[in-house]
Amino acid sequence: MSRVIRAAVFQTAWTGDRESMIQVHEQAARDAAAQGAQVLCFQELFYGPYFCQVQDPAFYAYAERIPDGPVVRRFQALARELGIVLVLPMYEEEQPGVLYNTAAVIDADGSYLGKYRKTHIPQVKGFWEKFYFRPGNSGWPVFDTAAGRIGVYICYDRHFPEGWRALGLAGAEIVFNPSATSRGLSGYLWQLEQPAAAVANEYFVGAINRVGVEEYGDNDFYGTSYFVDPEARFAGEPASDKETELVVRDLDLAKLREVRDRWQFYRDRAPGAYGPLTAP
Amino acid sequence: MTTWEPPAPALSVRQVLALERVLAGEPEVVAGAGRLDRPVRWVHVAEAPDVGVMLSGGEMVLTTGVLLTGDEDKQTEYVRSLHRAEASAVVLGLGRAFPAPPEAMRRAAERCDLPLVVLHRPFPFAQLTEEVQSRLVRRKFAAVSLSEAVRTELTALITTGAPLQRLLDEVARHSGCPVVVANVAHRVLGTAGERPAVDDVLRDWERVARQAGAGEGDGWIRAELGGRGERWGSIVLCGYRGDTATGRLLADRAAEALVLHRMLGGTAPTWEEQSAQGLLTDLVSGTVPAGHLLPRARAAGLPVNRRTFVPLVVRGGDAARLDRVLRLLGLPGIAAELAGTATAVLLSLARDQDADALAAHFAARLRAEPGAAPVVVAAAGARTSFDEVPAGLREARHVADAVADSAAALGLPPVVRLRDVHLRGLVRLLRDDPQVQSFAERELDGLLGEPDEDLLSVLRTYLATGRNKSRTAQLHHVSRPALYRRLEAIQARLGVDLDDFEQAASVHIALLAHDAQQR
Repeated sequence: MSRVIRAAVFQTAWTGDRESMIQVHEQAARDAAAQGAQVLCFQELFYGPYFCQVQDPAFYAYAERIPDGPVVRRFQALARELGIVLVLPMYEEEQPGVLYNTAAVIDADGSYLGKYRKTHIPQVKGFWEKFYFRPGNSGWPVFDTAAGRIGVYICYDRHFPEGWRALGLAGAEIVFNPSATSRGLSGYLWQLEQPAAAVANEYFVGAINRVGVEEYGDNDFYGTSYFVDPEARFAGEPASDKETELVVRDLDLAKLREVRDRWQFYRDRAPGAYGPLTAP
Repeated sequence: MTTWEPPAPALSVRQVLALERVLAGEPEVVAGAGRLDRPVRWVHVAEAPDVGVMLSGGEMVLTTGVLLTGDEDKQTEYVRSLHRAEASAVVLGLGRAFPAPPEAMRRAAERCDLPLVVLHRPFPFAQLTEEVQSRLVRRKFAAVSLSEAVRTELTALITTGAPLQRLLDEVARHSGCPVVVANVAHRVLGTAGERPAVDDVLRDWERVARQAGAGEGDGWIRAELGGRGERWGSIVLCGYRGDTATGRLLADRAAEALVLHRMLGGTAPTWEEQSAQGLLTDLVSGTVPAGHLLPRARAAGLPVNRRTFVPLVVRGGDAARLDRVLRLLGLPGIAAELAGTATAVLLSLARDQDADALAAHFAARLRAEPGAAPVVVAAAGARTSFDEVPAGLREARHVADAVADSAAALGLPPVVRLRDVHLRGLVRLLRDDPQVQSFAERELDGLLGEPDEDLLSVLRTYLATGRNKSRTAQLHHVSRPALYRRLEAIQARLGVDLDDFEQAASVHIALLAHDAQQR
């Protein structure tokens, strides 16, 4: 029996300041709700630039408390008003000097469900993330929302199959992968890794990437956000590679059961043989 | 227009053996009879026992075996080395070294499935090489000249500024099969070839697109389009009937031309825009039944299964702007400029979505764009059947046209519908009636002959606002007294009293009819 969830992701360009960036995302939430979307995920570090192109302590100011900071509070009220589940990837300050790359998950009634902290932190040219973030310590939470069981796996995390699998084992039906990734670097991976993760773990993936070139570096963020199903089929077309776009798609979660009845990956996996994977 | 005939496939072993000159040598296939369709790339005469190291694959090797006599191991190794070098066949002339087919060579050839042919009659090898070589060279020359011809034609088209469609038509003329250009998301941006064959391809496009390129043997030949490190899409020859090498050559030349065309395109409409425009124009014109356009609509990325279609026509917003707003709102739909100054938008919504609310949402966001020109958004009722889309688009265009002249004065709702256009809608439908035309001429005679366009414009606004003098003065940026003077001049020239309802109504209808004829 079909169980259709109308899910959305939003990609946009840096507006130049935090407040207008927040407003653009509030409007996107209203636009998604107008279409009847039940869940919406924003891009990585959604209300800021992708400041990790440089290493500058001034950007620590973008970090906020989760859930007690103003941005989460503001979007909790909006989620309640619109009746939509929101996934908010943002810069988190646990306490001064303890900072994470995090996504907060808000349920459709505005209640705060929890957060995922990005586990794998890159440190390469244009992506100086270790300067800004501690590696996440949240484990692999899956959130039981009004729009289904949702996991989050942030940007660079996606290159590591272990986390995808952990989210699948925890019962995720849709995993969002908010990102900031650059054309020259990862173009050839973008439509390969997440569909492969969707197939391997037999769930839906929503991939989000910001668009445009920002004033802090040469990274050309190429958008092309999309949803992909457990058979690696894209739900509709990927979004523009240059423009702001809201992607709203109907996902039939019955597909999970259908595919898992066909391929018993969870039954046939052999955790007893995977010891070497967790050896330090 | 002549259709180019693809050259015959590359010569196969079987074809070489059937040549008249070769038949004179009484050839007999003694091993590898199942592999006679292998292509022969070249013919090579060699007596050296280690000939294998000199080959690069695809050769038919001619030998008398003079260095192989009396040593079965050597004979076996000779055949194996040819197999390793991927020779297409070995031809052994009997008589000089072997009176009969040597069993060791036959066994070895059979084992590695290499065609072994013996010639029973003495035969000058030079004749065979000359015959085959000249045929192969002719083929290569034909390929090169085809390549040049296609390149020259396509380049000429590009330099004259021909649209994508002209290039594709040319490619289809050469290939004799449907040709499809798609972007990386497999959205079809252009097609050429015979309509029914193209429709067959498009009907199943999603599946076909994922598979094409897997194997070229069945005539599906794809060439990638890209440049400056980016891949844009691909061109696919769908079921090319000639040989694969020629098809590949055609596809590659076409791809080069398309890349050039796109890079030189500048401000020309993108392929995506051209594709949407072709589709919407055909839908509006009604020349092709909507059902026949369904495969094209689906292939152009418009969801069509179990959808609600909302036909809109917008005045004052170009297709690129409307497309941007559609993306911003995440509304699935296509937008394209129609002839004239209107842009058509076809929304495709899920059945549970509120079509009127989303059309209003779209119109509101269009108006809210910073610095954007004012727009009129006209809509027809939502359609659940694609067959009814053309009528809907025509209705929306009719509504948009009907209010075009007085959009500011009318105080229109955010989305204008048939019910909002009242009398001007009716008059528009009757605009071609000669009696209506002569009525309009008669009523407006005093103003139409005059060069003073301003009076006609003031009259139009005055009547559209329901004879509201202050609103008219405001819209024309004139003082009340100045407006009064103009209205007096109008009344004097027309010989009417605009305070009299019937006279004013008559002039209004005449003006609506006059305006309707102008578009």
